[in-house]
Amino acid sequence: MAKYVTQRIIYMIITLFLIASFTFFLMKIIPGTPFTKADKLSETQLAIMKEKYGLDDPVPVQYANYMMNLVKGDLGVSFQFDNVGVTEIIVKSFGPSAQLGFQAIIFGTIFGIILGVLAALKQNTWVDYGSTFIAVLGKSIPSFVFAGLMQYYLGVKLGWFPVAFWRGPEYTILPTIALAMFPLATAARFVRTEMIEVLESDYIVLAKAKGASWFDIAFKHALRNALIPVVTVLGPLVVSLMTGSLVIEKIFGIPGIGEQFVKSIQVNDYPVIMGTTLLFAALFVVVILIVDLLYGVIDPRIRLAGGKK
Amino acid sequence: MKKSKYLLLLSLSLVVSMFLAACGGGDKGKDDDKAADKGGKSAQEIRMLESTAIPAMDSVKASDTVSFTTMNNVMEGLYRLDPNQEVVPGMADGEPTVSDDGLTYTFKIRDAKWSNGDPVTANDFVYAWKKAMDPATASEYGPYMMEGKIKGAAEIIAAAAEKKDVDLNTLGVKALDEKTLEVALEKPIPYIKSLMAFPTFYPQNQKFVEEQGDKYAQKAENLIFNGPFVLSDWDGSTDSEWSYIKNKDYWDADTVKLEKVQWNVLKDPQAQANAFETGEVDITGKLSSDVVPQYEGDERLVKWLEPTLAWLKMNQKDNKALQNPDIRKAIAQAINKQDYVDGVLNNGSIVANYAVPNEFVKNEETGKDFRDINGNKLLPYNVDAAKKAWKKGLAALGTDTVELRYLTDDTETAKKTAEYIKSQLETNLKGIKISVESVPFSVRIDRQNKQDYDLQLALWGPDYLDPMTFSDLWVTGSGNNKMSYSNPKYDKLIKDAQTTLAQSPVERYKALAEAERILLEEDAAIAPIYQRSSNVLVSEKVKNFTYHLVGPEYSFKWTSVK
Amino acid sequence: MENEKIPQEMFSPVEMDATKSEQISKPSLNYWQDAWLRVRKNKGAIVSIIILAILIIMAIVGPNITGHGYADQNLKHNNLPPRIPVLENISWLPFDGELTRKNGDTYNAYKVKHVDEYYWLGTDSLGRDIFTRLWKGTQVSLYIAFLAAAIDMIIGVLYGAISGFVGGRTDNFMQRITEILIGIPNLVVVILMIIVLKPGILSITIALTITGWVGMARVVRAQVLKLKSQEYVLAARTLGLSNGKIIGKHLVPNLAGVIIINTMFTIPNAIFFEAFLSFIGLGLQPPHASLGTLIDDGFKVLQLYPYQMIIPAIVISLIMICFNMVADGLRDALDPKMRD
Repeated sequence: MAKYVTQRIIYMIITLFLIASFTFFLMKIIPGTPFTKADKLSETQLAIMKEKYGLDDPVPVQYANYMMNLVKGDLGVSFQFDNVGVTEIIVKSFGPSAQLGFQAIIFGTIFGIILGVLAALKQNTWVDYGSTFIAVLGKSIPSFVFAGLMQYYLGVKLGWFPVAFWRGPEYTILPTIALAMFPLATAARFVRTEMIEVLESDYIVLAKAKGASWFDIAFKHALRNALIPVVTVLGPLVVSLMTGSLVIEKIFGIPGIGEQFVKSIQVNDYPVIMGTTLLFAALFVVVILIVDLLYGVIDPRIRLAGGKK
Repeated sequence: MKKSKYLLLLSLSLVVSMFLAACGGGDKGKDDDKAADKGGKSAQEIRMLESTAIPAMDSVKASDTVSFTTMNNVMEGLYRLDPNQEVVPGMADGEPTVSDDGLTYTFKIRDAKWSNGDPVTANDFVYAWKKAMDPATASEYGPYMMEGKIKGAAEIIAAAAEKKDVDLNTLGVKALDEKTLEVALEKPIPYIKSLMAFPTFYPQNQKFVEEQGDKYAQKAENLIFNGPFVLSDWDGSTDSEWSYIKNKDYWDADTVKLEKVQWNVLKDPQAQANAFETGEVDITGKLSSDVVPQYEGDERLVKWLEPTLAWLKMNQKDNKALQNPDIRKAIAQAINKQDYVDGVLNNGSIVANYAVPNEFVKNEETGKDFRDINGNKLLPYNVDAAKKAWKKGLAALGTDTVELRYLTDDTETAKKTAEYIKSQLETNLKGIKISVESVPFSVRIDRQNKQDYDLQLALWGPDYLDPMTFSDLWVTGSGNNKMSYSNPKYDKLIKDAQTTLAQSPVERYKALAEAERILLEEDAAIAPIYQRSSNVLVSEKVKNFTYHLVGPEYSFKWTSVK
Repeated sequence: MENEKIPQEMFSPVEMDATKSEQISKPSLNYWQDAWLRVRKNKGAIVSIIILAILIIMAIVGPNITGHGYADQNLKHNNLPPRIPVLENISWLPFDGELTRKNGDTYNAYKVKHVDEYYWLGTDSLGRDIFTRLWKGTQVSLYIAFLAAAIDMIIGVLYGAISGFVGGRTDNFMQRITEILIGIPNLVVVILMIIVLKPGILSITIALTITGWVGMARVVRAQVLKLKSQEYVLAARTLGLSNGKIIGKHLVPNLAGVIIINTMFTIPNAIFFEAFLSFIGLGLQPPHASLGTLIDDGFKVLQLYPYQMIIPAIVISLIMICFNMVADGLRDALDPKMRD
């Protein structure tokens, strides 16, 4: 086990290095200028600005410089904000996004699993159809529409929740629900499919024959085996939720990293693009490792490559 | 084995939750504080919305309206703009003395204090201006605002570009004594006072700035203020909430009624309107044209004409068709602008048949609007004229089809505009084919600088109150021309206005108006489309809401709560 | 429960006929015939297939029905609500050309603007016929959806199946590659594609191709990992079946459920990814439309002209629901364990 994990961590570092390199060169091919007032600057001024930020060097030199600094833990300074370190930007904007994403994934998965299990147990009844309907709705309404409608009806018309901003727990409710629809629908659909399959298998039939209660059958025996694909799908979803949603953050005025990232791509803020990419990538590889480890925990039949003994 | 797996699962979830607690925890305390602030609000407080955070608070580095607006309220230059868009003294004590040739101005600095107790001195201005020109600062707006205006600026930029040593002392700004500032100009500038109200020309306290070093202007506590308010609760460029608190030490503190202005960032215009509806904010940001019609006839909707023009730039470089003035005239006259502003924009924007905006500047001698000279009739919509010119142009080119790329931004309005203009041109001009390319702003600017476009929809807003901020764009080889337009007659008129006519306002306006006529009527160098209108929702309780036409957007010095 | 005694005479001996014991009462069906038989029994799936077929036909012929082109503008007729002849006289149907102001007043937009024509589903802010644009948009959205699903099925399933089945070093290597692909931000790749190539349907397609299949590959791999250690695979292997046959005959049918469900999620994802690109300004170039862009545009004027969002939203939901019903039907039909 330990050997397997160490090996994976070494791979992770190589993966991150490759991602950083690819992104760096891709980013440099994107046309555009990082200077927001470039429409008002003269050629000479632009040249001075480029030199100041080291953008007049050949790309390989810039790449070498960036990698050297990266090893030292220096992510550089943002172009769009005056003299603000990339690390600071990321740390500040990641907090709200991560909190929201985590809440959404917890809320979404729990309700999704419950819906999925109920649908599987009561297959082809109104419970099943109802749960399918909710899941399809969760998938088929774009998040900006869902968020906008909730803001208008629950916030403005009914006044139940604050309309926007990021000031405390009650402010997180609407964005959490809006964000949770997707994992909820995903979990519900996958759990239903898997559960139906598992419920047919011999050991469940045996459990039934032994007279186990439906609760025990569903949650103790069947669910564990139904979770494999759910974990696989939800793993990367955790990352994409925690790394923020441009749409939700924009509509609810949340100072998160999703908006920050899209904006930095649009204004060619190279250091922020790189820093954020590295954070996302690191989260991804860590989550994927966790998912692989979870397979073994959830399903005893799966053995990890390194742990065969 | 089984047990250890559960242990692993348990520890994993523990790690994740601890990590998240650490992430969210820090912000929580702060959020609660802010929520508490909100609860105990005083009567003289208003809540505002902004669409982005403040990118920079160092006056010489800022280059955007949010930063300029903030500075305008927490700092002060020699002059500032009042609710009637007139220039009134700020740090300057009364009128400056001017030399006979109009090239040297001497300003007296009034008795005013920084928020740390230091007096505001002439040296604060000298220090800030030199800092703005210092290549090490890498200011975008400093050189842009000073080049060709302040003596010595152009030479400093040229030297910096060639990587020679730069002598900042050659810049035409001097402190004659503690309270006297002398400014030397390249050429007479009739609009100098309005220029001095621009944040790039604000003072900075040398001692404080040098003490703070790299940290200067990074957070509210790394700043000192000399304006009507002080900036508070601002945690740097990434902060989405901040507030202005009344500055007790401001020289005109008696005029300032508001105790506090609370700001929040909210980007989505519909969400802004929603927050306004529930009373969470008192004034929204500028609304998009999708939201405005919802409030048609509502008294809370405040509407004003901005001096910002949208026009089609027609790139003559390497494009045979666009080099032909008849083709350009045909394009400019084939677009029904009235239908466009009524049907598509529908937010109070007006048709522009001109290249210098309406309700922007008045002649200082006669008090008449610049637009009174040429009116709103240069290059108007006229299908017949357009078709005639088109035929003539095509005949001269010896072809019957013209394909043009239309470069534009990727915003909603820009895209809709593109669809409309494409359809108008293709309907009215036989044989034209427009392919729309909507790209992010930074890409559009990059392509403009490389002159890699045929038609481009661009917006231009002024930087100071004078027609020149629009007129000098089209001079041969100007940094903003970027479409290879060149007409010696035009260049001469602008040159005259900048030099020989600089001190006779009436003739100067005539020359600029004639230049505008040549630009549009004779050459059809650009196709003006519309002049933009701003719309914000303002709660009934707000008195004296003050907006501006150039530089900063709002002033709160005179605003109060009923 | 009553413990009744069953009288002796109710029992009769079964006649054993050695000739009939080998007879198969059901007709002999191959896998796909069998699957089709079971899909047919599922009423929901059949109705969904019919609706989908109608939508596809409308997507093809719909844009040509009204005589208004999808890009034809008429600003004098902009923002008109739906009005349909005959149906306009039925007051509870929303086809009477009436709009409601924010203060609750209703007015007939057609009378106010002096329009005699009928726009069945109304017009948008540039005065374009929404009926035509709706079907044009459906066309584009369905195209993107099918394309994404096809890529998922081909590349994703193959990649995942091979990775999971071969295992060991190959698996490890292939997984590292997908990690890199997932790690590079989608948006960077997409923006690059859209800017380097010309913005439009083709570049969106390519952008989807590059990153779209990774999720499917991971799910399939996970499932294969689970399946390959099961007894029947072991049995097949012991009996000397080749790897290809094991994958084709035993694994793929058992994977069907997951693959179909995942594909059904890929389709809306693709449709909404395209809508998201429009949301940030990188989607289709005007005047093209997709259901995503129509909803996006309509959403902005929801409070004034609700029909502009509701109409495309209904179509997109219909597509999603039908795809899901069909998917459920297919899943039940294809899964060998679900046979009755």
